[in-house]
Amino acid sequence: MIRWIALFALGVLLLLPIGVGPYPIRVATVIFMWAALAGSWNLLAGYAGAVDLGPVVYHGIGAFVTAALMLKLGLPFLVSAGLAGVVAVAIAYAVGTPTLRLRGAYFAIGTLALAESTKQLALAWDRLTRIPLTGGSAGVSLPLSAGYVPFYYVMLGLMTAVTVAALWLGGSKFGYGLRAIAENDRLAEASGLDIHCLKRRVYVVSACVMAMTGGTAGYWLSYINAADVFSASITFQMVVMALLGGLGTPFGPIVGAAFLTLVSEFLGTRFAYHYLIAIGVIIVLVSLFAPAGLTGVLEVVRRRREATA
Amino acid sequence: MTKRFGSLTALNGVDFALAEGEILGIIGPNGAGKSTLFNVIAGLETPTAGRVSYRGRSIAGMTADAVCRLGIAKTFQIPQLFPRLTVAENVLVAALYGGGHGLSASWREAREWLAFVGLADKAEKPAETLTVSERRRADLARVLGTGASLILLDENMAGLNRKEVEAAVGLLRDVRARGRTLVVTEHIMRAIIGLADRVVVLNYGEKIAEGRPADVMRDAAVIKAYLGESYA
Repeated sequence: MIRWIALFALGVLLLLPIGVGPYPIRVATVIFMWAALAGSWNLLAGYAGAVDLGPVVYHGIGAFVTAALMLKLGLPFLVSAGLAGVVAVAIAYAVGTPTLRLRGAYFAIGTLALAESTKQLALAWDRLTRIPLTGGSAGVSLPLSAGYVPFYYVMLGLMTAVTVAALWLGGSKFGYGLRAIAENDRLAEASGLDIHCLKRRVYVVSACVMAMTGGTAGYWLSYINAADVFSASITFQMVVMALLGGLGTPFGPIVGAAFLTLVSEFLGTRFAYHYLIAIGVIIVLVSLFAPAGLTGVLEVVRRRREATA
Repeated sequence: MTKRFGSLTALNGVDFALAEGEILGIIGPNGAGKSTLFNVIAGLETPTAGRVSYRGRSIAGMTADAVCRLGIAKTFQIPQLFPRLTVAENVLVAALYGGGHGLSASWREAREWLAFVGLADKAEKPAETLTVSERRRADLARVLGTGASLILLDENMAGLNRKEVEAAVGLLRDVRARGRTLVVTEHIMRAIIGLADRVVVLNYGEKIAEGRPADVMRDAAVIKAYLGESYA
């Protein structure tokens, strides 16, 4: 049932740019971008139970690799973003091999430290290596992009890909393996699961999507700098959106991204300075009264209806 | 094999062989090294010295998941579960990864083993809702689900009442009848004597006796270890 609704919604979204003007399309693109980021974070944290506080590393790497390929090699945008995904896969494989052996809070702290040091490295890169890549604190300007509709479709595609992956995890062998790891990793290991290998596969896939999203966002804004694209606030926004929508659910990150983006958009245009306070209050309220996230509320309502029917 | 934790020697040169289809009992007072022995065999601990071989292959130092896929699995002294998966999914995961089956074959395995341990009616319940005795049976079903041919049971009957112990002993005999080899540690002597073909007695990490249950019970060193000097 929910899948048919989702499929119908996807159809509507595919046709949306025909009917509406630039502003709603831009807002929708922002929502898709956050849904793709929060969704790829959700694959690892929500399904395999590994809370990564440094996913922004791959967002930033994606942005800079895409920019470098377009500027230095003159490759088309889509090819560059795709290759940025490949680079992120290679780096995530190398980084994940040691870090994913850390458990619980140690993994969270380790990845957070990794993200911060990557940001500093990116800021100092040009000076240290004499290979111009990040532009230091001045950043890098990208060629001006052709319109806003292509970004809408790329972000929609990325969001859809992550959601399909999450849906697939729901009933597949791989998905059961991840849930077992999240529930009790020692027991999972004693039951024959190569937990490290399974976690690394998810980590690598989520890094790939984040890098392509970061690359797309960079080209869309046509200006990137290391302090922004590696900013911890991007990580926290992903985390908050995934938790608000519903951790470990396929549509939770989309709901969280849409909710937070629309509320910020609505409040931000009216109370330019104070809207962040209101958003903080809303986040606290949701976590107090709907700890399973907004999709969790829908689930409770549905069950009550089934119980009374 | 020998296992030391710092200056504490948990196992000191313990040595025994196991025949296919046998039920071996491991007994000994608290702290004798029974759980450590199991952890070393199952790949949860690496032995400080010595060898563990299984069907002619050295397995000491292998990871727990690799040992499990080779065909050795253990239940836990405190029964372990995937709490928010259903009881059937607990066994399913073991069949998927330990047994290496596909999804539909694994669902069949899960249902079969749950019926075998008498938990078929709980299959769709979250595992965290099970009672202690049900958890022990679920843990056994999970181990059977991995397809292991050598099963290590770490005090799988602890905390069960007399009737439940009898049922558990019957169940383990059925497991052996299906061609599995069992190693059982237990405090409940009655259960071990009725079940095991052979018994190894550990005390302070050393093997102090080995033989048929009835003979071992009469062994002076064993009586001394359990009851003290004056009874020997």
